[in-house]
Amino acid sequence: MADFLSAYSIQSWLESAPQGYLMNTEYGHAPNEKEAPLILENPAMRTAAIRTTVQLVVGERCALAASSGLINSAPDEASKGFLATQTIDEARHVEVFTQRLYDLGVKKAELEDALKAHANPHLVKFAEVLLEKVDKKDFVAGVVGQNVILEGMAFHVFELMHTGNQSLNPKFGHTLSGVIADERRHVGFGENRIGSLIRENPGKKPEVQRMQRDMSYHMLATFAAAFRDTTERDEMERITRAAEARGEIAKPATWQGADLRALPPAEMERLLGDTVLKEFKVRLERIGLEYQTPPGP
Amino acid sequence: MTSPSHAHDPHRLEPEAFLEEVHSFEFWFQAVSGYLTGRPYGHAAQAANEAALDPRARERLLTVLANYCVGETAALEGASGLIGFAPNRQAKIFLSTQVVDEGRHLEVLLHRMRELGVADAEAEVERRANHTLVLFKRRLLELVASKDWEAAIFAQNVILEAMEFVVFQTHARRADPVTREILEGIVSDERRHIGFGENELGRRLKQSPHVRPRLAEVRRELDPLVLASFEETLAEVEVPRSERPELGRNYLAAVARLGFE
Repeated sequence: MADFLSAYSIQSWLESAPQGYLMNTEYGHAPNEKEAPLILENPAMRTAAIRTTVQLVVGERCALAASSGLINSAPDEASKGFLATQTIDEARHVEVFTQRLYDLGVKKAELEDALKAHANPHLVKFAEVLLEKVDKKDFVAGVVGQNVILEGMAFHVFELMHTGNQSLNPKFGHTLSGVIADERRHVGFGENRIGSLIRENPGKKPEVQRMQRDMSYHMLATFAAAFRDTTERDEMERITRAAEARGEIAKPATWQGADLRALPPAEMERLLGDTVLKEFKVRLERIGLEYQTPPGP
Repeated sequence: MTSPSHAHDPHRLEPEAFLEEVHSFEFWFQAVSGYLTGRPYGHAAQAANEAALDPRARERLLTVLANYCVGETAALEGASGLIGFAPNRQAKIFLSTQVVDEGRHLEVLLHRMRELGVADAEAEVERRANHTLVLFKRRLLELVASKDWEAAIFAQNVILEAMEFVVFQTHARRADPVTREILEGIVSDERRHIGFGENELGRRLKQSPHVRPRLAEVRRELDPLVLASFEETLAEVEVPRSERPELGRNYLAAVARLGFE
């Protein structure tokens, strides 16, 4: 265990993140990079970007509360050290996504109101299920909820968004690529560290599996609301096509083998949900847990 | 990372913009990059002269490092626990930077013990832990668990950090080159943490002066534990008995400067 945990030391984190892929960035992107004009100048696109970014801030605030809250119940110094790096990573994510809301025109004094207005209630419930375990100092359930479920979901959501944004809005694409690099580390820790603890505490399995099912349900309900909300979709589609015609979007947007630009929203929702759940199943089996199918939203 | 906005003096900003800036991840990174780059595990000095440490000096150093680890674990668990009920986003983000600072301190001190030939550093910390420091840690974590923001910040970012600041500075002046460099890096972090505690409590005491007696009570309870830990640590790092009261006074003066007589 000690050898595997040495890969998650603070020294490794310093060298790979702040002194590595975050070098020469400002709030996660190149200095002076701006949001794409087609987002800033179109009210529908800007509102959609704000709504999406609010969900990211809500998710990252949950991850910050969970990772910091788990430090006290971590069973060894190396796990505490890793969770310290995860805590600062999550705080950075809160900071960069909050900064994006400011860049999109949300006033500082109106931040909390914007979060309340746009936060998806199912995402809030998703966070509550996890934070209840953290509050009870349940390290095993907390790490599964945080580093397998929440981070597993976040990883794919960010990848999907990165694919859609890298040519459309490079500034946000760059922010997301740093966040994805962080999440990759977090998911790895959860899977590696928790397997042995599950084997030592087999009696915990039913409770942890129930938590996974509940969190998965709220996650799918959050996706459903995001993809079924078509208020600005037609306008976004029109603008994207126009940008493509002007040659402003050069790269194809392929994710999980599908061309995102040609995919209807319902199909995109299904692809994202299936991808995340499939990965949950594989990861949970690796740590000795049985995946529980959630009810459909 | 880079941030052109830091090229200016943040002290010239309006109070709210100042807090937004100095409590940010960006500001933290600007602050630490100077003294952490090129210093894996807190030092660039070669740990080649360990043989020069006589066995008694090595033993004493290990005891001191083990107790620093107790203090840093208390700080790590305290700072992380504070995030959950910090009153605003800026405080949460600052405390996250403090969490990784405290985690780093713990990591470099355990690493130093390994460099000195200890196979199981965590077991050694448990074996050598000073009773009064363990009591201090327990009490600090009780304050954090009770979600008493002012009392917990006072115990963590004023009392504990001021104690560590005085001890580490004193020890660094007498330490071998590797230990000195590690301690100097830690002291640079502690300055930031004390600054946060002072700023946060200063504003709160101005708005709610009735909090002051409660904090004075916390101080009365914790000071004896701090001073007893001081005595034991300073004896181990061979600070002459005649100088120890002076260092105790320095700690008391540091806390008093923050307005807690």
